[in-house]
Amino acid sequence: MAGSNSEWSQKVAAFYASPSHFLASTTTENFVYDLLRVLADEKISENVKIQILGIIQEFPGLLFTNSLVAEQAAESIFSIYSQLPLVPKSVNLKCHLLLSVTTIVIATDHLTSNAKILNNLMSQLLDTVCDTNDRKYGGHFRPLRALACDCLREFETCHPGLLSRKLELLHSLQQKEVSPLHQAYTLLYIQVLKNAVRTLSRSRNVSDGAIRELLTRNEEIKWKVMEKPQDLLAIATTTNLTPLPSTIETKELKSSVTLLLEESFLLTPVSQAAVFHELIQVVLMVRSLSPAIFRSQLLRLFGTMDISLMHSMLHMKASFTDSLFSAEDENFLLKRLVCMAQHPLLSNPVKLFYMDCLLHFPENRPINSNLEENLPVLFTPKMAACLFPTLFNDSSTMMSRLNLVSLMCLDSAEEERGLAEIFDYLVSLYKLVDANGSRGHTVTFFQAVYIFVSCFHASEMYMSELTQYMVKLYQRHCTLAPHMINLIDSIQHLLEDSKWPVSLGEALRKLIVELPPKQLSPHKLIWHLKVLARVAKEPTILQKTTVQFLLNVVQASDLCRQGEWRMGNSVLSVCKSILHHQNVEPIFSDLADLLQHVHAQFQDIDIQDHAHFYYALLTCLSHEKLAGIVAPGTGNCIRAKARSLSSLMSESAGHSISVLPIKHPVLKLIPVPEEGSSNRGPAGDMTVKDFEEDSLQKYLNQFQNVGFASTIVMKFHLTFAEKVDPEYHKIYTVHLCFDLRSTHYEPLSDLHVPCLFLSRTPHVFSLAFKPHLPFPVMLHTRAVFTKEDGSTCCSQLEPVDIGFARLFLALPVPTNWPLEMKARLFNQFWESLLQTGSSQSVLSRFCFTTVQRPLSELVNLHFQKYVVSQQSDPESYKAFLFLPPRVHLLLSLEQAQDMAKVDIVTDNWQLLPFINSYLIDITSEK
Amino acid sequence: MSVRAIWLLGLEKGTTSVKLSRRFPTVEKRARNFNGKNYTELPEDKIFLNALLTELDMTELDKNFVEHRDSCCRINRTSVYEIAIGDSVLWPVLVMTQNAILYACLPLVEQSLTPRPPLISLRGISPAFALLSGLMTFLNMTQRSEPEITNKMTQISAMLMHACPLGTPTDTDFGLMQTLSGSFVPQNPISSVQAQKQPAWKPGIYKGKPQVNVCVTEQIRSMQYDKNDVIDVWQEYGTVTCKCDLEGILPTVTVSLNLPINGSPLQDILVHPCVSAVDSTILTFNSVDDVDDSLFNGPYKFPFTPPLDVFKLCYYTSQVPIPPILGSYQMKEEEQNLKITVNLKLHESVKNGFEYCEAHIPFFNRGPIVHAECKVNHGQLEVSREKSLLVWVIGQKFPKSLEVSLTGIVMFPAFGISNHSVQLTDPFCTGLTAYVKLYFRIPDYTLTGCYVDQHSIQVYSSAKPRIITSRELLSSEYYIWNSKGDAPVASRPLGSLRNWE
Repeated sequence: MAGSNSEWSQKVAAFYASPSHFLASTTTENFVYDLLRVLADEKISENVKIQILGIIQEFPGLLFTNSLVAEQAAESIFSIYSQLPLVPKSVNLKCHLLLSVTTIVIATDHLTSNAKILNNLMSQLLDTVCDTNDRKYGGHFRPLRALACDCLREFETCHPGLLSRKLELLHSLQQKEVSPLHQAYTLLYIQVLKNAVRTLSRSRNVSDGAIRELLTRNEEIKWKVMEKPQDLLAIATTTNLTPLPSTIETKELKSSVTLLLEESFLLTPVSQAAVFHELIQVVLMVRSLSPAIFRSQLLRLFGTMDISLMHSMLHMKASFTDSLFSAEDENFLLKRLVCMAQHPLLSNPVKLFYMDCLLHFPENRPINSNLEENLPVLFTPKMAACLFPTLFNDSSTMMSRLNLVSLMCLDSAEEERGLAEIFDYLVSLYKLVDANGSRGHTVTFFQAVYIFVSCFHASEMYMSELTQYMVKLYQRHCTLAPHMINLIDSIQHLLEDSKWPVSLGEALRKLIVELPPKQLSPHKLIWHLKVLARVAKEPTILQKTTVQFLLNVVQASDLCRQGEWRMGNSVLSVCKSILHHQNVEPIFSDLADLLQHVHAQFQDIDIQDHAHFYYALLTCLSHEKLAGIVAPGTGNCIRAKARSLSSLMSESAGHSISVLPIKHPVLKLIPVPEEGSSNRGPAGDMTVKDFEEDSLQKYLNQFQNVGFASTIVMKFHLTFAEKVDPEYHKIYTVHLCFDLRSTHYEPLSDLHVPCLFLSRTPHVFSLAFKPHLPFPVMLHTRAVFTKEDGSTCCSQLEPVDIGFARLFLALPVPTNWPLEMKARLFNQFWESLLQTGSSQSVLSRFCFTTVQRPLSELVNLHFQKYVVSQQSDPESYKAFLFLPPRVHLLLSLEQAQDMAKVDIVTDNWQLLPFINSYLIDITSEK
Repeated sequence: MSVRAIWLLGLEKGTTSVKLSRRFPTVEKRARNFNGKNYTELPEDKIFLNALLTELDMTELDKNFVEHRDSCCRINRTSVYEIAIGDSVLWPVLVMTQNAILYACLPLVEQSLTPRPPLISLRGISPAFALLSGLMTFLNMTQRSEPEITNKMTQISAMLMHACPLGTPTDTDFGLMQTLSGSFVPQNPISSVQAQKQPAWKPGIYKGKPQVNVCVTEQIRSMQYDKNDVIDVWQEYGTVTCKCDLEGILPTVTVSLNLPINGSPLQDILVHPCVSAVDSTILTFNSVDDVDDSLFNGPYKFPFTPPLDVFKLCYYTSQVPIPPILGSYQMKEEEQNLKITVNLKLHESVKNGFEYCEAHIPFFNRGPIVHAECKVNHGQLEVSREKSLLVWVIGQKFPKSLEVSLTGIVMFPAFGISNHSVQLTDPFCTGLTAYVKLYFRIPDYTLTGCYVDQHSIQVYSSAKPRIITSRELLSSEYYIWNSKGDAPVASRPLGSLRNWE
């Protein structure tokens, strides 16, 4: 189905928009074959072909799911490539074709043992790169040559050592090329050289002439390297490089490396960085090469404005430390880095990167591990002063700088002065938030406070001053309550022993309870109650005035009369916090009065009930029991209920009820193998007699009844996945949502299971699949359930593969039909499909060897239920398969010597790829 | 040195879209190998887009506090983000933003992802920066109309085919690639006698009249407060831009920057990669520590082989002793009227010859100007009512006294009457917090005194080129804050005069 240019452009766009969605509406194999057909179609424009090749270059993993498709694609693209004439006009398309084949070969792993394709591709690539200085084909083909170099380099990168037998050739090409393409040749050569030296350094017995021998090698490529599983990590790692013995001869290598470095100036900065990186590793492995070989480059690099080169220099520093950088150089480089971290002409992201580099600066004599953030020893307060944040910085810069100057201040002797400056900075941020309070500034301010407290929590003077500022801020902007609570929580989490969060909480509480009642509009009160509920969690903060404040509020205002549920809940959540965390003895009567009042006066029955419940708990239970009941998830027998009883809304949940996502599947679905026919579309009311005449037409007429034979019912076990945490061993109200992610099926309705216990038998249920087209499909399932402690969880199950064979059904005719009738129907059907020549029907043939297993065994195993006739000489079978909603698959299997042939007739050609792969599967299994 | 994928995402008019994405499956295969069990598959574009917007706090903007977005311990100190995709995370995603386009790139991490390695140790991070910066420069070279952008996206796809076909970028100068597309192929094959390799960053050869053009552009920014307890700050920085049209494969040029005897020394010098060597003395002058550079006044020599296009030869900063224009601004509220006074004084050492000089006086959060009664002793005043802005065009010259002033009263609609839709807003400017912003350009002048002497430029090339030099001073973020109001302070509270960035 070729389609026009514009159709294909649209298809390509639709594919990019969502590849998975697009592929769900067709089969991947069909799509790939369509793509290949279009590529070979002369009527299709080059532009569209390039778009299509783009898909192949970007999504090979999605498209080439087995080696057969990959092979066919690679071969057919390669043949298009070879047939295209070598004229300037075709260069661009040729580049794309070559890149596509290379991508398929490297990315998919399906062709690693396919010597024919590998040899073809490699000889094409090598042939292309051998045309140095445009001698043979001229300058128009430079893009192709450059691409071939890149492809070879990618081969070598993904399969280190693959090209090491070609070093001599690659070296001579690299030296010969004088056009700008020498960059591509250099990068290729260096990659191969580094990998070859690396392989050498990993082998045990290395002769003294090994390197010379390496550099002069020019042999055939051994494809075995491709088949070995790679451990790139071991090859790329720059730590633990084993140096080669110092006796090894390195004269040739040294002159080669020196020349490469001299010419590095001719490469683009990113490529220079790549060259330096590989050469650094070579020098690290070959001890007789001195790091000083890089010295001449350093003089050029020290002043650079380019990030790749700066990064390379830092990398050299990390690799060679004082064997390349003297103490003076180190100091110099550090100053350059500080200067670049604040240079007005560099972009913010780049400066932030340099700031980060400062905290991991590769020192000659590192004291700390480089994984943690540390200031370099040579970093001075003067340098930190250059990086002091201002109000005009963006938020990331502010935080980055604040962190850095705070670290400096902690280390420095001039701590007092530095701390004062940082605090003043915090105050200026405070003023900004106080005056204007945009969300961005507010978040930044609280982050700054967090950094400040995390560094200087020991300084009591500043901490208490900070508390005052925070209280002042809250006094004017009570909508900051969630920020304040988050700050208290975050600091407590970070510094378990710090008293500051508690003192901030107490200060806020004091402010709130002393507020004149007039200032308490409901809008503000709701924020205050949030803060009070949080503060009441601190057992060291006495709550007597809090309770009196609440009592005063509910008695004096018309809050109870209005009966707003949310407000009532907020009041009760403070009470609950107190009941849970506080010693209620000293506040017993006030609290009881409060609850009593709410119970009696609040105009909402739900709130009344809860107030009464708390009142009952308070008056009837000892403190320990009481705290146990209101505590979330700590009681025993009634814990699932305790939660729902003792709080209306979970505090952490904010405005929504939260569902906890669980990473690992808790449950799994196991398909139950079918017993007998599960065809739920009984063959209408027709009897055997009805069919006697004109049986085919009558058979087909059945499908005019809506819903006839349109479903496949499958049974599943719902059970627990392996190694599930004990907390999930008993789950309740399981809600399963199914998703086939395919447009070929009707959506499945959800399923409810009351409970599921690990100790009991799995739950069995059936699902009715209604296909529009019977394509294989994956069943994705999401389960939402409640744990024993009452929290709701959500878990994604492992998808279940509904394979092609699961869709086979016996013919929808009365069960009492004799075989002969089915056979007759088979023959009629066969004839009619071949005769009508409808666009949908198709005849196909499949052959396979029966040496290992006789045909009869295969038929018995897979088609027994569907066989309508069989003969013995020659051995042959006819199998009549039905797939809902109305697809027929007629197989005629016949033995011929060692082979069996299967003639396939179906009324829907789109199924052919599935039939094909199904037959391959069952005939190749052992 | 490879990247797994890049994305260009559009953020226009409240809608977001994927403008371009490119993934590199062979690099992906390596990522799977390197990252082992912490490997996260690349999501589809739309999923990535949404996840990125969530990470960048660009969702749920109507909500006051959302913990996963606003928590104080969730601090981003770099432009590298961790993007949550389902249960797993993509890291390190480098994100840069410019002109309503998000540029994102995921470099390959050639090591285990746990514990998380520092950015400095990731080989792929600088190519990712280079790639995104290159794309950014390319997209900002011309007008940003919608069809233009679409066209450029197509060009980018084609250019990536050559600059980064398999995820390892070899060139990031997309502007040059565009210039050369078409003329990329040389007319004649390489002559058999050519022995000199042609630089990869100079893939063409200029033919025509030789010419060298060098321009020194200095920019000055300033925050002035006119207060005793707040220190004014200013910062000066310069760029030397070159365009050299010279024949030959490797012509070399040496440009010297000269300073007059009393000029301010150049510091924090950064040079273009085409510069072949820099005297390390001039690199030691920096704003970071107290190297005594007062005795050094050049010349600063830069030998280089010029690329084909315009390029930035070097960047520098300098600590000039004075800002060129010293100003004060007083704004007071009297009922619904604002009484304003602005005084500006040009320093006597500064060249009094502007191409333009304007003072913009915006009024934020007050609605459109109803009436303005202002007097200036020099230049003209324009009132832009809708924009709530006074523009004082000072012109080409300050008067002899070098001082100009503006006084007057500006009236606004009574509180609550103003139409909020046309209001100018600013995060800083509420109440009496207000500023005057200056825009000026002084041609043929630099504040440091830095200049390029035509005769000092040395060119080693077959023909003698025409040499053009120029210089200019431009204002950039030049603010004078209302001394009667609270102004956000730019300097360190007790800090020194100079550092401000």
